[in-house]
Order: sequence, then C-alpha cells, then structure tokens
Amino acid sequence: MSLRHLRAIIRKEINHIIRDRMTFILVMLTPITMLFIMAYALTVDIEHIPIAVLDFDRSSTSRAFVQRITEGKDLNLQTYMDTLDEVNDLLMRGEIKAALVINPAFEHDLLSLRGMPLQIIIDGTEPATGGFALDQIGGRADAFVGELLAAQIGEQGRALSLQPIDLRVRTLYNPSLKPRVDMIPGLISMMLGFPALSVALTLAHEREHGTLEQVMATPVGRAELLLGKIIPYIIVGLINVIVIPVIAMVTFHIPFNGSFPLFFLLSAVFLFAILSMGMIIGVFIRTQPAALALSFLVIFFPGFFLTGIFFPIASMPEIMRIEALVLPGTHYAIITRGVFLPGVGLDVLWPYGVMMLGLGIGFTAVGVLFFRKKLG
Amino acid sequence: MKETPPIIETHALTRDFKKTRAVDSLDLSIQPGELFGLVGPDGAGKTTTLRLLAGLLDITSGSAQVAGYDLARQAEAIKRKIGYMAQQFSLYGELSVLENLSFFSELYDVEVTELQERTERLLSFAGLTEFKDRRAAHLSGGMQKKLALACTLIHQPKILLLDEPTTGVDPVSRRGFWDILTDLHLGGTTIVVSTPYMDEADRCSKVGLMYAGHLVVCAEPAQIRAQIEGDLIELRSDDWQAAHTLIETLPGVLEVQTYGDSLHVLVDSSARRLPEIAAALEEQGVTYRGIRHAPARMEEAFISLIRRMEDGRNQVFKKKPGFEED
Repeated sequence: MSLRHLRAIIRKEINHIIRDRMTFILVMLTPITMLFIMAYALTVDIEHIPIAVLDFDRSSTSRAFVQRITEGKDLNLQTYMDTLDEVNDLLMRGEIKAALVINPAFEHDLLSLRGMPLQIIIDGTEPATGGFALDQIGGRADAFVGELLAAQIGEQGRALSLQPIDLRVRTLYNPSLKPRVDMIPGLISMMLGFPALSVALTLAHEREHGTLEQVMATPVGRAELLLGKIIPYIIVGLINVIVIPVIAMVTFHIPFNGSFPLFFLLSAVFLFAILSMGMIIGVFIRTQPAALALSFLVIFFPGFFLTGIFFPIASMPEIMRIEALVLPGTHYAIITRGVFLPGVGLDVLWPYGVMMLGLGIGFTAVGVLFFRKKLG
Repeated sequence: MKETPPIIETHALTRDFKKTRAVDSLDLSIQPGELFGLVGPDGAGKTTTLRLLAGLLDITSGSAQVAGYDLARQAEAIKRKIGYMAQQFSLYGELSVLENLSFFSELYDVEVTELQERTERLLSFAGLTEFKDRRAAHLSGGMQKKLALACTLIHQPKILLLDEPTTGVDPVSRRGFWDILTDLHLGGTTIVVSTPYMDEADRCSKVGLMYAGHLVVCAEPAQIRAQIEGDLIELRSDDWQAAHTLIETLPGVLEVQTYGDSLHVLVDSSARRLPEIAAALEEQGVTYRGIRHAPARMEEAFISLIRRMEDGRNQVFKKKPGFEED
C-alpha cells in the first residue's frame, strides 16, 4: 500500500466532489433535503379524522355519548346518517374513515347496566388512521360508561371509590410519542446512504468515461484505488453527520441527549460500512443507470424496510432477521436512537459499533478481492 | 539491428470476447526504438491488441513479452515501463492541466525532486505551458490529446502505446502531434501507434496491417508501397460512376478505387493502358479531365490489400459446403 498513491486518489476525488455540481448536490444537499421532507411528512399528527354517526336510538344518552366522542380535535363528526347503506357509501368514497353505529337499545341497555351495544366500522385501507380512531373511541366509551356508573351509584347514595384497575402509563424518552422524534434519528442512516450511492456511481462513471482505463494502465494498487475512492466520501459524509443533528435539533426540536463525539465516531464507522457496500456495487456494475438501480435495491429499500426503522425486526421472519443483521443500517438505527433519545453510551452501543466495523472490513475485502485492473 | 532482442514480442496472441475473436493468433515482433504503426479497418483488432499489450485485458491464449516481462504473469511490472494512451479522452475533465499531470506523476511514483523540471519540460513540449491552470475539459480536442500524451510520458516510459491518438483532431494539430512523436522516436522511445490515417502510417519506421484479428503485412512503408501490383493512373470525372463502371471492364485494369470525384485505377502498365482508357472514355462520351500517371501511396496499397483480403474471405465463405442448400 503506497500512501502517496492513496493520497493522490483521495485528492483527485475530493476535487471531483467539489467541482462536479451533480456529485456535490448528491452528497451534500440531498441528505439535508431528505431530512426536511421526512421531518415534515412525519409531523402530521393524526388529527381531524372524519367520522359518521348512525344513531338508531336518538336518545339523550346517545347524543351525550356522541358529543363525548367528538369533543377532541382528533375525531370530526362529519355527518349523521340514517341507513347503513349511506355509511358504506361514504366509507367507499373515502369521505369518512370510521363510523359509529348506535343500537336502538343503547340508552335502555346502558341505564339498566346490561352493557353498551355499539358498533364501530373502520376503513381498513388506512389501518393507522382507522386503528387510531378505534383506540380513541374505545377509550372514551370506557370513560363514558365509568362516569355513568359512578353517577348511578351516587344516586343510590354511595360514593364509588374503587377503580377496577389503576393504570398509569409513563412513556420514557419520547413522552408525547411524536413519530418524528423517533423516526428522524432512525432515518439518518438513510440520509447517509447518498454518499454510498455516490461511490457506486463514481466508479461506474469512471468506467463509462474511460478514466478508469487510464488509471488501470498505471501501477496503482487495487486497495489504494478503492480506499482512495471511499475515504473522500466518508469525509463528506461526516460533514453531514455534523449538519444533520444540528438541523434536527434546532429546526425540528429533536432532543439529543447522548455524547456527540461518540455519535460522530460511530457514524464514521457506519459510513465506512455503508460506503463499502456502495463500492462493491461499483466494482461489479459497469454503467451508472445500473449502479443507481442496484443501489436502491441493495442500500435504500432494505435500509428502509429491514433495518427496523419502520417495522420492528423482532416481528420479521427469521431469514429477514438474519439479512437485517448484515445491513449496517440495522445497527446504526439502534445507535442513533440510543444516542439521541435515552442518551446511552459506548457501554451499551459497542457491540453495534463492532458489528458495523466487521461488516465494513468484510465488504471492503470482497470489493478489493473482486476488483481487477482489467477491462471487459 | 537484427541481433537486438525485440522489446515487444507476441506468439499466437489471441483474445476472445463473448462472440468474436478480436485478436487471432497474432505474431508481432517490435524492435527497440521503432515507431510502429498499427493500421487496419475498424474492428480489425487494433484497440484490443494495444489494450492487451498494456496489460488491460486478459489473454485468452498465446503469450507475449513486453519490456522483458511476461504479459500474463507480470502485467503490473509492465505498467511501470509503458505509457498507454486510450482512444477516447480519458483524463479528469474537472482537474486542471497541471493537476492531471501531477496526479499521474504520483501514481507513477515520479521522484519529487524531478517533478518540477519534468512537468515544465512536458508542458512546453506539448505547448500547454500557458494553459496549465485550465481545466482539461475546457481544452480543445488537439490540446487534450497532447495533455494525455504528456501524462503518459511523465514517468519517461521506454514504450509508448497510443491508440488512435489523432482521431478527431484537426490536420494542423495532427501534424504537431506527429512532430512530437517523431522527436520521441529520435530520442529512442519505442512507440506503437494505431491510426486510421495512411499519411501517418507513412511517417512510421514500420507498419503492421491488421485485418480480422490477424497481422496481414508487417514491413517498412516503402516495402508496403512496393507491394502494390502494377501502376496507378489517376483521373477525374463529373460522371465518375459511369467512368468507374466502364474502366472496370477494360483489359489490363486490376482495380478501381474512388476518392470523391477522382478515380484511382491500378493497371498492369500505365504507359500502355493510359491512352486506352482515355480512348474508351471518349468513345462512350464520358467526360473526364486530368488523367495522369501517379505514384502509388500507402492508401492505395492498403485499400488494395484489404480488398484482396475481403475477396478471399468471400470466396472461402461461398465455397463452404451446405451454404447454398437452403
């Protein structure tokens, strides 16, 4: 390994990144743009869900119940309906996401303590919205019944002092359960996927433009060439590692409770691993369009769906869990969430760092092994 | 001269791509200090040959020695001894002239103490001194070629392999480029250059004609010109198609080649056939002018050689048994 060769390749590549506008945009601006898009997309707390009510009872109790259900700003009472067909029609057209069907015996059953005959219809095409509506309605119905019960018992001259269960939930690290507080740290691994994409593209670009042919005709070593390709993108990736948390904290009020130097160090390891993946693509693929397509297939899609950012890894089939383990993003998602929210330290995170380092070394070895200074 | 061992030597060198055999049992022997021109039609295997010699392609079969190293086993050692220039512009467009030069000087491990002097000399040699801070992408085609040459010369290689270095370059720059090559040749560098231009082949000390992956002829330019059969008669005609058709049928005519509106006719004896051709054209009412005996050039020699080769191939093709059955 000649340091002089390595330095020459690195310097050349940094000049390329700075001077080639497309590369500069891809590695410096795209990750930040993605941060903004993600942050705003995830801001949308679930509010104003349109629901309809089909009240067959039309009693004062049922009216009080409906009022109780819709008093928050999360569920909007869109309309009262008369028939089930009308409800179906509105659901089909997507004008409502859920409907309450109140049985004719609602008031009678409730006051005679025989239960609460209530049907809730939700739109299963949007499970998140429907499920949310279901939870809210269920919770409020419980409270409504409880109050009614207490009032009845009070009328009989006895105070209700015993709650069946006294459940007090305490949510740690993200008390308001805001999705973006946990998603944005998780998604940093995706934002850092763009430098990896650039590594794949730059090798294909050099093949297409013949510059790789000229470099292959020199005595430069394979490892020098490939490491010289990765290191500059680690450097620009680390600039993103500084910029992204700052924007996340200042603009989107994401808490950063851990140690920044630790985050920086582990991010460098992650960049090394994910960029080595990009390099392998560049070693095998000859054209930029193909390198782009494969990068999405290998880096971005699994990065989104298999690394536990959106879907818990524990609920995946075993083969997927194994695949998730060889994705650097899986380990990095744990690290970013750990550093941002609970602020855990190296004592907890070191195994993930070691895994990423091992993956990076493995990927680089595969790349160097299969890269040949030959054309065709 | 004969006693010195060749600096480049190949034995039955063969390279296959998926469906084609690009280089077919090539036997090549190039002496040190030669300015060797590799010519031939497109697809003859010139680029593949140069890439093989530069160690950029794997050999399918056969063997080759370059600068005393075995090509199959010691390709990396060869790379220190040669300068290779690809056909397409293959420098870094975003880097300046000087940055490109220093990039390659570092990859070739040029001594830092020599770098300054060598860079300045190459820049003035290539006429690029005043453009040294310009980005390579913003140079003219001719200057890009000169910069590429300068980059391949930075480590003072014993052997230069140049793949069509003047294709797409204007005639003046082309001449300037060849003046540089001649200087290098006189300085003792062995140069192998492929070219589609026959006037350039004339400036080489030795010329190899490739056809369908084979080396068909390998000789000095004068010897190749001498291979042409018969004499050459040149004439112009406004109705050159009619003239071409007519002359082809005349006795003693070996071959007719067209260059724009002028016809080059190869005949067994120009003294005898020139008046005959003139008479025949007049008889048929085909107007012509400037009929004269002309010295044969490299160009006629090659077209004639290649045409004979193609005729031969077509005949072999037609004779193949079973070809006419369906």
